[in-house]
Amino acid sequence: MKPAAGLMEHPFGADYARRTPAPADAMLAAFRDQARSVFEPQGLPGPKNEAWRFTPLRALAKVPFIPAAAADDVDVTAVPAPVAVLPGAARLVLVNGVYRADLSDKIEGVEISTASDRSLLGHIATMASVPMAALNASFMGAVLSLKVTKAATTPVHLISVAAAGSQPVAFHPRLLINIAPGAALTLVETHCGLPGQATLANPVTEIRLGEGAQLKRYVQVAEQSDSFHLAATGIALAKDSRFEGFHTGLGGALVRQEIAAVMHGTGAHLELHGAYALDGHSHHDFTTSIDHHVPGCSSNQVFKGVVGGESRGVYQGRIHVARDAQKTDARQLHKALFLERGPQIDCKPELEIYADDVQCAHGAATGEIDADHLFFLAARGIDPATARMLLVEAFLADATERISEETVRAAFTRDIQGWLSRRSLKAAA
Amino acid sequence: MALLEIKNLHVSVGDREILKGITLTLNGGEVHAIMGPNGTGKSTLSNVIAGREGYTVTQGEVLLDGKDVFAMAADERARAGIFLAFQYPVEIPGVSTSSFLKTAINAKRRAEGHKEIDAMEFLKLVKAKTKELGMADDMIKRPLNVGFSGGEKKRAEVLQMTLLEPRVAILDETDSGLDIDALKVVSDGVNALRSKDRAFLVITHYQRLLDYIVPDHVHVLVNGRIAVSGGKELALELEAEGYAKYQGAAA
Ligand SMILES: Nc1ncnc2c1ncn2[C@@H]1O[C@H](COP(=O)(O)OP(=O)(O)OP(=O)(O)O)[C@@H](O)[C@H]1O
Ligand SMILES: [Mg+2]
Repeated sequence: MKPAAGLMEHPFGADYARRTPAPADAMLAAFRDQARSVFEPQGLPGPKNEAWRFTPLRALAKVPFIPAAAADDVDVTAVPAPVAVLPGAARLVLVNGVYRADLSDKIEGVEISTASDRSLLGHIATMASVPMAALNASFMGAVLSLKVTKAATTPVHLISVAAAGSQPVAFHPRLLINIAPGAALTLVETHCGLPGQATLANPVTEIRLGEGAQLKRYVQVAEQSDSFHLAATGIALAKDSRFEGFHTGLGGALVRQEIAAVMHGTGAHLELHGAYALDGHSHHDFTTSIDHHVPGCSSNQVFKGVVGGESRGVYQGRIHVARDAQKTDARQLHKALFLERGPQIDCKPELEIYADDVQCAHGAATGEIDADHLFFLAARGIDPATARMLLVEAFLADATERISEETVRAAFTRDIQGWLSRRSLKAAA
Repeated sequence: MALLEIKNLHVSVGDREILKGITLTLNGGEVHAIMGPNGTGKSTLSNVIAGREGYTVTQGEVLLDGKDVFAMAADERARAGIFLAFQYPVEIPGVSTSSFLKTAINAKRRAEGHKEIDAMEFLKLVKAKTKELGMADDMIKRPLNVGFSGGEKKRAEVLQMTLLEPRVAILDETDSGLDIDALKVVSDGVNALRSKDRAFLVITHYQRLLDYIVPDHVHVLVNGRIAVSGGKELALELEAEGYAKYQGAAA
């Protein structure tokens, strides 16, 4: 099918649709058809789409992706070795978006189903404003629903592995997380890929937090350097619920982690933080949108990035405070550190505040490693590579320290350290 | 052989010459004090020896154990035994004092071919030294110098010196910002390190410090030159009479 006038050509046309297996269930089929009627006329977002101005999809659109389900030469029998085992966590493994019971643990206190939770599907991640949700819904393969009805004691570690055969593959999984009133869950997600042909992960996650519910969700994206990851998350927070999110971006050709939260009940609180470290030609985009619909909610965001090579980092943060949402406390901070000349940072805060009795603060800054700091460390005998590593770690620690789960904080910090030490080795070579 | 030799050192920042021919020899066991009006080049001298960038050495040399200091990067100089206690120690957010200290100690150990310090040994050592310097226990858990009071920063500098056991220690106004008791504690720390194979260059504006750390030589730096050198009685004379008579001579 030819794209409509002015639209970028892309691989997600009729042929791609034909090769995507039909869902078993009529309701899902109807959902998908409706999504395609949204996606087809708009296609992939181009540079004229304000929300996508800093994240061009031209390179992605040229990759001849086929649906992962249509690739019959993918063989994954084990979780990739570099994925750290989280102490005490139960593993839940997806390969190309498909739940693999053979690689997963049994999880106590969490209902896992490959049927869709209809109270969530399509209700929280809106297709109209989030093109990646429309893309996902159009070709939705596997659905995974997690339901928690009390405080789950075992953290869940979801490992999503992307693997291509002889052709680049794309997959569009949907994760539905329903935390019942008063219930709680800690979820860690690792999104990684196996070396080989390029992959595109296009996961969409819809989260509902019931009254007084709590979710800690820690997401690490570490795709192969030629691969793509376009994720969208929608979070609905009821009264007195609490969400803590942390996202890392440690590479991939192009990664966008888009997170939209809506405060539906007074007293809801959201902590959403992230750290990214980019090198080579990596492109990473954090786009967040927090809607303070009701009074007396708070949200806090701290995003920090380190950029080297010719990489590009993007942070777009929208905060919307409705007229009635008095006593809102909304904060947002993005800071980036340049390791050298060459990378690019785009930062776009958007504050739309219609209530008058609110506390809103946003900050943005970019800079380089402070020469006085480097000299101080050198004057104590610390070599430049180690000194830079200490300072970069310290810079990112401002974000990672906000991970309240100690084992996760340690694991994520180790990953960042690993990234830094690989990089300085590269620089020394 | 002298520990540190500064020979006819000329240093400029941009077009402006700040040090105009400094010659100074520090032998093992000696304490040299440098005094002089504001802006005459005392910190410039210490920074150049420690290896801060932004200065141009137009003439002269500095030798540590006969080796050319300017051929070494700042971190190599430190590992070779040069230590500068900064006039204005920088705050480094996010780097905990203890991990910084450990990294510095290990850098030196590795350079000397020793194995890294183990965690227990490190804690014991640091605890003992902080106690001697009258520092609070939790200080080392805090980010380096962040929110430290003026006096706390100076004590932290002396703590680093004590742990790194340098061959040549340059103290750039380590006494400024210290209360009277702290002055004594810090001076005791310095005196405890005095030994025949270590030398000190103590920069100060106040004769009082030299009552505690008694110098072998006192030099007056005016306008980038050493205007006069003498024994410890020179400091007393300066205290009484000021720099006026040397400023005229040096201009
Ligand atoms: N990086 C620099 N750029 C420009 N000027 C400089 C720089 N470093 C030093 N100077 C100038 O050199 C002169 C000497 O400065 P220095 O800091 O060495 O003085 P000092 O003797 O330590 O003074 P004080 O007693 O006030 O500490 C001053 O006029 C200062 O402004
Ligand atoms: Mg000075």
